[in-house]
Amino acid sequence: MHRVLIVDDHAFIRRGVQAILQSFPEWEVCGEADNGTDAIRLTETLKPEAIIMDISMPGLNGIETTREIRKKHPEVKIVLLTLHETAELVRSAFRAGAQGYLLKVDAEQELVRALNIVIADGSYISPKIDGEVAKSVVTEVTEFKPVHKN
Amino acid sequence: MLAERAVQPQHKMDMRTSTKALQILVADDHDIIRRGLKQLLTSRPGWEVCAEAKTGREAVKLAEQLKPDVVVMDISMPELNGLEASRQIHKLLPKAGILILTLHFSDQLVRDIVEVGARAYIMKSDADRDLVSAVEALANRRTFFTARAADMLLNGFSRPVVGAQPQAISRNRITPREREIVQLLAEGKSSKEVAVALGISVKTAETHRANIMKKLELHSVSELVRYAVKNQIIEA
Repeated sequence: MHRVLIVDDHAFIRRGVQAILQSFPEWEVCGEADNGTDAIRLTETLKPEAIIMDISMPGLNGIETTREIRKKHPEVKIVLLTLHETAELVRSAFRAGAQGYLLKVDAEQELVRALNIVIADGSYISPKIDGEVAKSVVTEVTEFKPVHKN
Repeated sequence: MLAERAVQPQHKMDMRTSTKALQILVADDHDIIRRGLKQLLTSRPGWEVCAEAKTGREAVKLAEQLKPDVVVMDISMPELNGLEASRQIHKLLPKAGILILTLHFSDQLVRDIVEVGARAYIMKSDADRDLVSAVEALANRRTFFTARAADMLLNGFSRPVVGAQPQAISRNRITPREREIVQLLAEGKSSKEVAVALGISVKTAETHRANIMKKLELHSVSELVRYAVKNQIIEA
């Protein structure tokens, strides 16, 4: 069983993510946060294996929060969940240390697939993101990987 | 159908006192948001989500079929946005309470929401706190507006806003039907696809298109897209 933390400032998105995960017993929601600061604190105390996190949040956004969490906990896998499809944002997400970039519009079908891929050390980018962008981001991150490892 | 509905007993002052569950239609193009909304809504005893729609057009069709008591509607949806869908639903079912749920706030949006016949408006960021209260208000034939909108309605709705005036005029130059067509064209649909979507002839769709371009003094599709974004008919 894998433990996952849900971070989104919108309660109904957190509920939606929970509802999707309910039918997958291998995934257990260990906690929820509605802002980046709480997400960092809960990562310390709950030690989740994976985090599903919104990008646009008041205060610390999802990318800044990812950077902070990955500094202290490089083992935690982070999937960012967002409405935005811009190449720049995908690149920033991966540079900050995220392993997954999931669009809210695909979440229902793709959420568990994204989690399964990142937990197995892979990278996930929503199929709606331009293939060339996805390829260049993944290549860049793979080249960087030795730097990130311990 | 409408006349028959008017004499049905569940349409008394407080629908929660009737034995029939409150029927709610949820319209949002994001599956995950509909899931979350459904969970929040059905946690209340006596409330039922009778159907879900992914586009404004689907919402109108389902509302006509199922005659929900309350419609919870996102604004930015493909094919037909939530405002135009609300306008059509309000015409078909004047007694249904329409709740607009959106990420954005603007004074113009509040005006538009009131104008299309919606009686409640909340922000997605406040949905956790406000959704149940807003639906409850609608079920009791009351209105519910997010605090900022309520302030705006009290302070200045009847007063013309200096900056908003030119935009308001340009919006009113085209009819609701024409705005529907603007959205479809701005989404990249051809006249033929517009005709199929609206159940009209290609020739009528082309006439509408020519009228719109002339009225708005637009000369290309990219100008039309810019108009649609500027007037919040589609999102950028």
